[in-house]
Amino acid sequence: MTALDQVDFELARGEVHGLLGENGAGKTTLAKVLAGLLVPDAGDVEIGGSPVRLRSAADARSRGVSMVHQHFSLVPRFTGFENVALVDKAAWNRRGAPATGYRDRVEARAGELGLAVELDVAVARLGVGDRQRIEVLKALMGETRVLLLDEPTAVLAPQEVDGLLAVLRQVARSGAGVVLVAHKLDEVLATADRVTVLRRGRRVLHGEAVRFTASELAESMVGREPAPRDRFSDKLGVQFVTRQGRDSGRTADRVEDEAVRLLEGGAHHAAGAARLSSRAKGSSVAARLSGVVAGRGEPPPLRGADFEVRRGEIVGVAGVEGNGQRTLAAVLAGVTKPRSGTAEVPREAGWIPQDRNAEGLVDGFSITENVALALHGSATWRRGPWLDWRSVAARARVLSREMDVRTPGPDAAVRTLSGGNQQKVLAGREFLRAADLLIAESPTRGLDVAAARAVRDRIARLARGEARAGSAVPPPGVVLISTDLDEILELADRIVVMVRGRIVPVPPDGRTVAAIGRLMLAARGKAPDTGAGRSGAWS
Amino acid sequence: MTAPTPRANPTSPTNPASRAAGTSRANPTSPAAIPSRFGGEFLAVAGTVAAVGATLVVAGVLLALGGYSPGEAFGALVRGAFGSWNRFVSFTLVQATPLLLAGLAVALAFKAGVWNIGAEGQLHAGALAGVALAVSLPGAPAPVLLPVTLLAGAAAGAAWASAPAVMKTNSGVSEVITTLLLNFVALFMAQFLVQGPLQEARGVFNMTDEIPAAARLPALLPDSRLHWGFVLGLAAAAGLWVYLARTPGGFRVRATGASVRASKASGRFDPRRVVRRAFLASGALAGLAGWVQVSGVTGRMYEGLSPGWGYIAIAVALLARLHPGAVVVAAVVFGAFGAGGAAMQRDAGVPEAWVRGTEALLILAVLAVDRTLLAASRRRRG
Repeated sequence: MTALDQVDFELARGEVHGLLGENGAGKTTLAKVLAGLLVPDAGDVEIGGSPVRLRSAADARSRGVSMVHQHFSLVPRFTGFENVALVDKAAWNRRGAPATGYRDRVEARAGELGLAVELDVAVARLGVGDRQRIEVLKALMGETRVLLLDEPTAVLAPQEVDGLLAVLRQVARSGAGVVLVAHKLDEVLATADRVTVLRRGRRVLHGEAVRFTASELAESMVGREPAPRDRFSDKLGVQFVTRQGRDSGRTADRVEDEAVRLLEGGAHHAAGAARLSSRAKGSSVAARLSGVVAGRGEPPPLRGADFEVRRGEIVGVAGVEGNGQRTLAAVLAGVTKPRSGTAEVPREAGWIPQDRNAEGLVDGFSITENVALALHGSATWRRGPWLDWRSVAARARVLSREMDVRTPGPDAAVRTLSGGNQQKVLAGREFLRAADLLIAESPTRGLDVAAARAVRDRIARLARGEARAGSAVPPPGVVLISTDLDEILELADRIVVMVRGRIVPVPPDGRTVAAIGRLMLAARGKAPDTGAGRSGAWS
Repeated sequence: MTAPTPRANPTSPTNPASRAAGTSRANPTSPAAIPSRFGGEFLAVAGTVAAVGATLVVAGVLLALGGYSPGEAFGALVRGAFGSWNRFVSFTLVQATPLLLAGLAVALAFKAGVWNIGAEGQLHAGALAGVALAVSLPGAPAPVLLPVTLLAGAAAGAAWASAPAVMKTNSGVSEVITTLLLNFVALFMAQFLVQGPLQEARGVFNMTDEIPAAARLPALLPDSRLHWGFVLGLAAAAGLWVYLARTPGGFRVRATGASVRASKASGRFDPRRVVRRAFLASGALAGLAGWVQVSGVTGRMYEGLSPGWGYIAIAVALLARLHPGAVVVAAVVFGAFGAGGAAMQRDAGVPEAWVRGTEALLILAVLAVDRTLLAASRRRRG
């Protein structure tokens, strides 16, 4: 997988540049390339017109590039001043003793930038906002030409956000370029001079911030494939280029409405969806959650979720990553027990987890062993006290053929397969045990177009009951969790959006990228979602 | 069969802490991540052989640098370990027996993703429990006393492992720390018991009374010191091999060791239970190793019963790449080092420390080969 695919990015002196994108779009990767933390496989980085090769953060820093990370890098026991001095060469004289007058310079710089910092208190005793200001001051003590901030507002209270954004504008005015990595549109639109939107590692949109509305940015972030219905984006392009000025509010609203109307007109999915869901009407419930609170942490990733999926229907779960989807999946799969509320879930479910290599498959196991991992409990796969390896291997062989897994044989270690082939193994295995319920998290991740098509078709057939022709057993219910709205719009009979651990149904007439995107981005601040046990393997 | 007196035991206790530091790795990944296959068993076996060869070359150079004749020293080592049928059976295989059982204990734990560094402590617990039971039941017949003491040894080893097991699965406390520290507790407890409550009736030496003959494992071959404990070890190796390769339970152990998260997500079983059970079984095997040594060889418990077998067992398991069948071979290799090392000291004047150093070199070489092969298999990834 490539995190960044031939992305061009340009930062001017004195500008605040908003770098937007969904989680996993490549924003942080791009920032890390600029900060010298990642060396790109191809392409060049230039600073001030001359090409540079940044090999480390120190390297970047010596060229005036500083980064403020999402997770701070401060020594908790040190005071703010000590933390600043720790990383600044200028704080020490040639003999390694503290440089005279450094304290004054730190204070002067803070004053210049309008940063209210606590310099004499141990960082451990400071709040997040104070810590971040120290982090920013730290980054700006030298000759800073480029300041990168990775989601700096994610951890701040709303009133602190305004203060930080004011500082960033001040930094830009002093002649440096500021890159603001974010996924909150209002902040970016309020601060940035220009924006760049990344999606799936590609730059999908860039230009002056005033040319774009929030819903346009939202749409380009959550995406729509360059599909046959591209006429809309053409029209939108024409419309929006004519727009002038950020404060022409009424024009902006009008244009936005126009965009939504056009998009809705193009939502050909709606009619089909209504037809499909009639199939599920009257069928039995495959899984039901009521008031479920689950997951580790405070607040819990899933807080009061009501959810139902019937046999034969596909429920699409949209949402910005990290809003509780992973915990929802784990609860539906029966792997995580709710802390409160009731979860009626089938005894066994097919589950294609988000994290293929950590939760889906065992890297060092063969395809056969990975198939056994999901199947070995049932009596079919045993002979007396023994695991019936021959049957499992035969099953793995059939699965490899059905899913078109490119492999020398079922004994090949999964580690030796490409990501796409691993995904095929995982999906194929979980289809096998989705008798009552299939939970598919980004099921086509890493697959090429044809393979993704095949998996989507298989999911649709599974829910229609065609995968098991002639069987009297009703088809399973499917929960499709994805950040790819196109996939959800195509497959889902019903759509819900996850916002901060809660589940919001999307009305049938709201099945458009723009409308769902707005719901998704209503989330201010991300809920921590550690999934089924990322931090504590034993939970 | 005559049991050697404790003082005649040629091996001496070594510092457990330094031994542990030499053989455990400061690697946060699961020990079971050490691959047993790189797309071919052949490569793994060839790699191990290469590692052994390289170790011997380096060890020979070190011997030469130390002013010894490598040829003479190696000759003494080989003669001491394999020089005659009796040397092989009565010395090499006798030394291999506790290493076999403890090596299986470590291999099982590592397979399950449990860093059990505590085989040494569990071994002491098993030996103490067996001795305590045997000396308190002087009149019991062998058909009763042998199985009961074997069970007691295993149970005590499991009990010694139980606290680290529960602490790991319920609170996430690292078993490396807990098992290692409990080793010291077990060693000091053994010291205290053989000086106090369990001291011989004469009250002269720091050792227990001799256990009744009914509690002794019978000799396996006439005119040799080899006892049925070796057969017990072979049976345990075969059982563990079949269990891991063929049964659903063994598969769960391997899956848990390879990925706790994927095991949990499979929804098929609770990896916590697998870890607890494997941990206890590992402790039981190590406990058995301790009691089998007393019952089969020494006839009593004393300070310094084990020259660090619980730690050498880690080396045995790693050399065997955690495969129960290969543990047999590795245990014999280290048994030969033990038996041959003593002979080398006697005949060629090479210090015991050299043997210990060579053992450590061997482990480093095996780990280096493992990592290299693993990296190569990753590069081949399509």
